[in-house]
Amino acid sequence: MKHTKKILALVLALSMVFTLCAFAQADGVEPAKEITLWTYPIGNWSNEEVVNSLVGDFEAETGIHVTVDYLTYTDGDDRVNTAITAGNAPDLLMEGPDRMVAGWGAQGHMVDLADMFDEKDLEEINPTVMDVVTSDDGSVYLYPLVMTAFCAGINVDAFKEAGADQYVDLENHTWTVDGFKAAVKALYDHFGSTAVAVYCAGQGGDQGTRALVTNFHGGTYTTPEHDGYTWDDPENIQAIEELAEMKGQGLEFDASLVGGDEIALFYQGVLKIALCWSIQQQLDPNLAGTGEGLTMNGEQIAFMNFPSQEGVDPVLNGGIWGFGIFDNGDEARIAAAKQFIQYMCDSEHTAEAVRQANYFGVRSAAADGTVDLSGIWDDNETMKEFNATVVPNMGDYYQISKGWNQARTAWWTMLQKVGEGEDIPTVVAQYCAEANEAAAAG
Amino acid sequence: MARAAQPTVSRALRRRETVSGYLFMLPSLVFFLGFVVIPMVICIFTSLTDSMMNNTKPVNFVGLANFQKLFQDEKFLEALKNTFIIVVVSVPVTCAFSLWVSSAIYKMNNFFLSAFRCIFYLPVVTGSVAVTVVWKWMYNNYYGVFNYLLGPQGLGVIEKNINWLGDPRFALGCIILILLTTSVGQPIVLYVSALGNVDQSLVEAAKVDGATNFQVFWRVKWPQMMPTTLYILVITTINSFQCFALIQLLTSGGSGTNTVMYYIYYTAFKLTSTAGHFGYANAMGVILAIFIGALSALQFWLAKER
Repeated sequence: MKHTKKILALVLALSMVFTLCAFAQADGVEPAKEITLWTYPIGNWSNEEVVNSLVGDFEAETGIHVTVDYLTYTDGDDRVNTAITAGNAPDLLMEGPDRMVAGWGAQGHMVDLADMFDEKDLEEINPTVMDVVTSDDGSVYLYPLVMTAFCAGINVDAFKEAGADQYVDLENHTWTVDGFKAAVKALYDHFGSTAVAVYCAGQGGDQGTRALVTNFHGGTYTTPEHDGYTWDDPENIQAIEELAEMKGQGLEFDASLVGGDEIALFYQGVLKIALCWSIQQQLDPNLAGTGEGLTMNGEQIAFMNFPSQEGVDPVLNGGIWGFGIFDNGDEARIAAAKQFIQYMCDSEHTAEAVRQANYFGVRSAAADGTVDLSGIWDDNETMKEFNATVVPNMGDYYQISKGWNQARTAWWTMLQKVGEGEDIPTVVAQYCAEANEAAAAG
Repeated sequence: MARAAQPTVSRALRRRETVSGYLFMLPSLVFFLGFVVIPMVICIFTSLTDSMMNNTKPVNFVGLANFQKLFQDEKFLEALKNTFIIVVVSVPVTCAFSLWVSSAIYKMNNFFLSAFRCIFYLPVVTGSVAVTVVWKWMYNNYYGVFNYLLGPQGLGVIEKNINWLGDPRFALGCIILILLTTSVGQPIVLYVSALGNVDQSLVEAAKVDGATNFQVFWRVKWPQMMPTTLYILVITTINSFQCFALIQLLTSGGSGTNTVMYYIYYTAFKLTSTAGHFGYANAMGVILAIFIGALSALQFWLAKER
């Protein structure tokens, strides 16, 4: 009996110790010492030298080694998809909500980061951004870092030479639809070549063509609930018809270009208007390092809101980027990845991480309010001007709509058909229906 | 005793040689099984399912549903049509052009013969991405060399720039032209070799009998080159069916240039939000393999008949 009691006591004691150990491990998982980060080209987060510096500082502070791989928009999705299928997805990914929230997050491949946001974070982060990165079920698959509004760009010197500068308000960076039409005509009459290309060889940079069409007569692209596509509304059809009428008169539906090609041609001075412009491009056109706001030939570039009807505010497409964590089933790696996110997005290092992206931060302060982020671009006049004249026009972030991948393909294929001269209402209805089918299936 | 033991030793030796043979073959066999046979089996099996990339749900067997859907899919039918256009145009042109060039150069001295072989073979050994980038630049709508040569500053044949890769009237033709330049190298080398191996005594005998040059070629040389021609036809046909990199890098399947190979890639890797896209893409792969196999068999049969 005496021995039995001793054995029982020992078993109980051991079980308590084991239980305590198990809880201790679950609560404070030791972070892994090595993680991987894949990043799409988001500002200088595509620049190896810059990223090495940011990541090097993180490594020095935490002892966690980060292996970085740089993706392109051409094959990045394929690489990530293949990696997921093969079971070797990266620990961290830097991209936007359309891929991480509506795509891989909704498919169950990403870690829910909701536990990383306390009340203070929710106060500091832009509520619209927080809404976009939060799924219907409350999961958060992307910790946001930066945001911007996509815009257009014009070659100011060319506009002045052609007398088209009278049609743009360079102070407020706005123009009307009639002003846009008149400017394109003036440029064509003067230079005799295409001034603006409605590029449609692929989905790259399609935010520009979408914004051009929807702003022409105030059309919409998706439903407010993001469960369907509305680009076949009469306003958009009218806009596309008017754009099609401009064909051969300075505007072309160009099925040989994507957004990146258009930027290159604009930078080279060939095209006089860019639809795939952004503040990142304005600060470093074509990422060529040849001077802020200048073309290759030294001509001045101005960023512009998309043309809208007289008295109507333009509605711009937004861009949001941040980090997500792939659920590879390794708690230690997930813990290390979360530490990386905390370091970049909510610490005294956040200002630098934001600045290197050449976009605006999504939060007013970081590190429990101890770091003020509201003035990180105060030393840059271009950013201040952009923030005052373009960012306020940022509209609904609809890129998280269901069936988004297929809808993007339907959009540029539709523009190609319009360029080929097919009946516009028919072709718009056909491809919008295709997108809606994908939305219904998704 | 020694006589009785002889066959046993011989059998043992034979067995050892057989085992050695199989062992030597093993590395290739492993690769063949791993990268050809097993993927083929997986492809056929997957084509009968609603398998989907990144799927966490169980895969369902759907029978021939993917194949039925394929022939109602307008995009697939358009891709199939484009693929056949590429094959029908590029295979005969490649063969005829290669034969013509080979006939013109095979009697040249070694220096010129080697030079021409190098020139025509260069696009084959140059990376397809590099070749495509150069062609893309030449076709460029705004500053391409073709528009410059044909435009007002050059020959003055065209008034306005042609959007070679963005206009469905020209895009597929442009793709075929690039395909031709990258396809003729090997056939030229093979034809030069085949023409050099033609039995000269038969050629001389035919000439003595009064045969014209055309008759000598058609009745004497051509039959002797038939195995080479068959090989070139089959290889060129398969290459044409598999046209992918050019489409992906130049047009992304737009401007009426979608091919089955590109559509397979697009469906498998881009439509990750579409249910069953893996099974559907594999069904296309099976159909493509059937077409390639059938056309190759037809070519073998025609060559045999001759």
